[in-house]
Amino acid sequence: MPAERDVRLRMYEQMVTSRYFEEAIKLAYLEGKQPLFNMAKGPIPGEMHLSSGQEPCAVGVCAHLRHDDSVTATHRAHHIAIAKGVALNAMTAEIFGKRDGLSGGRGGHMHLFDSAVNFCCSGIVAQGMGPAVGAALAAKLAGSDAVAVSFIGEGAANQGAFHESLNLAAVWKAPVIFVIEDNAWGISVAKRTSTAIARNSDRAAAYGMPGRFVPDNDIDAIYDAAGDAVHRARAGGGPTLIEIETWRLEGHFMGDAEGYRPGGEVADLQARDPLIVYRRRLADAGISVVEFESIERRAGRAVADALEFARKSDYPAVESAFETVFS
Amino acid sequence: MTATATATATAAPTRRLTIAKAMSEAIGLSMDADPKVIVLGEDIGALGGVFGTTQGLLERFGAARVRDTPISETAFIGAAVGLAAAGMRPIVELMFVDFFGVCMDAIYNLAAKQSYFSGGHVCCPMVLMTSVGGGYGDAGQHSQCLYATFAHLPGLKVVMPSNAYDAKGLMLSAIADANPVVFMFHKALQGMGWLGTVPGSIVHVPSEMYTVPIGRAATVRPGRDITLVGLGLTVHLALQAATTLAAQGIEAEVIDLRSIAPLDREAIAASVAKTRRLIVVDDDYRSFGVSAEVIAGACEGDVDWLSAPARITHPDVPIPYSPALEHPLLPSAAKIVEASTRLCHDKVE
Amino acid sequence: MDVIIPVDLWGEDGDAVIATWLFQSGELVSPGAVLAEVMYEKASMEVTSPGAGRLTILVEAESPVRQGQLIGRIET
Repeated sequence: MPAERDVRLRMYEQMVTSRYFEEAIKLAYLEGKQPLFNMAKGPIPGEMHLSSGQEPCAVGVCAHLRHDDSVTATHRAHHIAIAKGVALNAMTAEIFGKRDGLSGGRGGHMHLFDSAVNFCCSGIVAQGMGPAVGAALAAKLAGSDAVAVSFIGEGAANQGAFHESLNLAAVWKAPVIFVIEDNAWGISVAKRTSTAIARNSDRAAAYGMPGRFVPDNDIDAIYDAAGDAVHRARAGGGPTLIEIETWRLEGHFMGDAEGYRPGGEVADLQARDPLIVYRRRLADAGISVVEFESIERRAGRAVADALEFARKSDYPAVESAFETVFS
Repeated sequence: MTATATATATAAPTRRLTIAKAMSEAIGLSMDADPKVIVLGEDIGALGGVFGTTQGLLERFGAARVRDTPISETAFIGAAVGLAAAGMRPIVELMFVDFFGVCMDAIYNLAAKQSYFSGGHVCCPMVLMTSVGGGYGDAGQHSQCLYATFAHLPGLKVVMPSNAYDAKGLMLSAIADANPVVFMFHKALQGMGWLGTVPGSIVHVPSEMYTVPIGRAATVRPGRDITLVGLGLTVHLALQAATTLAAQGIEAEVIDLRSIAPLDREAIAASVAKTRRLIVVDDDYRSFGVSAEVIAGACEGDVDWLSAPARITHPDVPIPYSPALEHPLLPSAAKIVEASTRLCHDKVE
Repeated sequence: MDVIIPVDLWGEDGDAVIATWLFQSGELVSPGAVLAEVMYEKASMEVTSPGAGRLTILVEAESPVRQGQLIGRIET
């Protein structure tokens, strides 16, 4: 069933916010890194994994989630954080390594934690899967109908943690949804050379749970598949595995020369930019230019505010590095 | 190697390589010489290694011997142990040492114990190469050193070069060794432009095969007043500090461990017997680490200390992300100068 | 002899940057020795010595460079 009009507009707004956010982060990240690209320099250090192109995965799934539902995400997590409702100002300040960041600058871009909306992410592939099973079991034991969602990349499906977590979730009938964002590349290694079967969703059968494949980065289809899975989990039906064909418009990380990509691949994917596709689809469904512009203006303002907040925030005091090692 | 580099600068032309290129060259030479040498790991094929450790190898030796793996460290490091037991010489890359968590069983309960459990009948001639170190804002899952975590385990050898000459020689030793060798390389020395590189790591590297023995430290700067022990990046910090100290009349001897396990206790003992002052500089976590082991080893000897040994390390907190937190926590030349001056206060006054 | 960034080093138009010089001005270099590493995007490329002699660096590390640009001299 297609989403209601207001849900679709909200999903579009989150997609636009995520894209604008990453465009702004990209510019800020490059400050101080030119002409010689050096990760250590500029206001945002370290690796930067952008999610442009993958917005539908996050937005279509999180549209079904409440604040008390848990999400664990990957090293490429901005879009998921935004869709889950992570505080944008504090998240941006974290990425800038500032005092007002989500963890006061201790975690950074790959380690965003927002307990207010039960969101976290990690730089270790497949690491979030076990914790999602745990969060789901906790909800079940508490008698809540809250669910947990673990976002992973397709590369994670070859980790032991993937198989162990699927089995455990099925054995426990845990209300968890595993979402594979299949962007076809694990850094430079193509999925077809690293994965024994074409569809990771087929692996669900080995663990006695439904497996859904959503082709073509289609946000409405993602919304549909996720709706079924979340409903099933809330109703006590147990876990689901969803595999989404999506695409990474940027490199693995900023500065990736992407020599491994076949010529024309990026241009081809850009021509199918899900943001443009969805805007066109919504226009066909009767959304007016005025409505689009209002959404885009609001998204732009939220992003600009977040960047300004982050830049104005102070750096943390050195002593704070010694705090919170233990709770 | 700094002394050698300086000496040759005005003499015969040299051949300079980064550590990344030196590692790639060593592996290539071994693959040429021995068909049993193969390489496996994530992004080591077409990409040539995220940190440039396998540059040009896929083109030269083909995909059968230079194997990109799935993100399945438990399986492919376990497979390396099996390959080694079957007589192959696998070199396997764990992209960041921080990722050891997903595959440590294969490393410490399998590779490290293969020889012992078999009474020496099954050996494990594998090299596990892995990147270490922070300082560039990659936070606590991509910036750790964990030297001691590996060095603590009987059955593993652990080495780390501070320059390209040692990188090639240690790699060739590691490949030839009948035992599992963890070959750590520091990101700040690797020669990847996008990470910055300490210039002192780029030195003359002969094109032919040669070895640097595992278990032997190098005295990279002689001195009589204080011993500075470092490894990898901190060797360069110590050398920098030594130059500053020399201007103040303090002659520091700088020791590059090169091998963490086995540790060259004799080299340290010989140096402190002379200087009777010791500072260990270690960018790993402070407690239970290389700094503790070096100091404990030195104190087990009969040294008439002029001042108590000291250490400069990262404190016992996860490596923080923000440069405002990370940079002040890491060892620096200034910290070494300050501590050395304190230990040598009788000389300065 | 001129040390020049080869005209086809990275193929496309646009600036690269000298990531590092492996030698300093005044040092002796031999033919074919890698003198500098150049980065285009994040890909690293080598500039080798056209001959034997004493190197003079004309364009410092971290400077942007174009293909075909003169970046150093070697005096025999």
